[in-house]
Amino acid sequence: MIAVNAQAKIEAYLHRLRGSLRGLGAEEIREIVEELRSHILDKASAEGDVTAASVEGALAALGSPEDLARDYVTDAVLARAEVSRWPLEILKSLFRWASLSVAGFFALLGTILGYSAGMVFFLVAALKPFHPENAGLWVWRTSGDVMYSVRLGFGTPPAGARELLGWWIVPVGLVVSCVVVVLTTHFAVWCVRHYRRSRTALRLGR
Amino acid sequence: MNDIGHRELESADKWEVQLRKGCLELAILAALWGGRLYGLEILRRLENDSDLIVAEGTVYPLLSRLKALGLVRSEWVESDAGHPRKYYALTAAGKKRALEMAAIWVRFSSTMDQLLVPLGGGSRR
Repeated sequence: MIAVNAQAKIEAYLHRLRGSLRGLGAEEIREIVEELRSHILDKASAEGDVTAASVEGALAALGSPEDLARDYVTDAVLARAEVSRWPLEILKSLFRWASLSVAGFFALLGTILGYSAGMVFFLVAALKPFHPENAGLWVWRTSGDVMYSVRLGFGTPPAGARELLGWWIVPVGLVVSCVVVVLTTHFAVWCVRHYRRSRTALRLGR
Repeated sequence: MNDIGHRELESADKWEVQLRKGCLELAILAALWGGRLYGLEILRRLENDSDLIVAEGTVYPLLSRLKALGLVRSEWVESDAGHPRKYYALTAAGKKRALEMAAIWVRFSSTMDQLLVPLGGGSRR
């Protein structure tokens, strides 16, 4: 037997949970909500009928639906980033993580910088055949400082600049691009793992 | 003086938290070793068989994380209680991971037991 006001309390809790889980897949949300409904009913009926008081006890032991949802969303996002090795998937996960924590924001910033650098080296290698005169690695001096610039070939290099690698930029650019992308991916996954370890500690300490 | 005592207590607490941090995953995998269980059964197993004090809410997101990592799989099973329950079971990867973690744990704790003999704790043999 489930008292009517007990049922209403369960629904109110699950409604708040569902609201805070936004961003996960519809099927994923349904599974989480149904699993917790089943937990609450089992817990509240452990000593007989499901009453408003027994439901309240079960809900208090679970913690607030918002905290619970944050755990789910962060875990789902981090697990996706850790399992995936594709830059686009990792970036998508990091964007979501960045919206949940400061650590995520800095991990995203570093990863975007890394992938952008990788992209530039790939583009310069790819564009060299189309802009043989202007694409490549250039070096020049301005008031004593040595400046380096990777140029994609849209526009002419500054006056007095000298090209460093010539056609070698194609193989070198491709290799550097691969290395930078791989290192950035490792960095992102390292951030995720490191954060997850310290997070587990925090949760248990609560 | 009081402040120093308080700080020492706090750092011992922190150490305990550090100690527990990796253990919950192993505890859940170990609880599932004997066969499939649903969330509340896992929680009760952890409360009975170990000193891990688990806030109930934390175990469900962790289970979903273990599932995403391919260490456990889940299935819905109808029950006499009138609502279905979500059961978890170890995958082959989960069993392998549990065995590896258990081996590390046993090696580590036997070394610690030996070291702790002079302190009167540790070895009970």
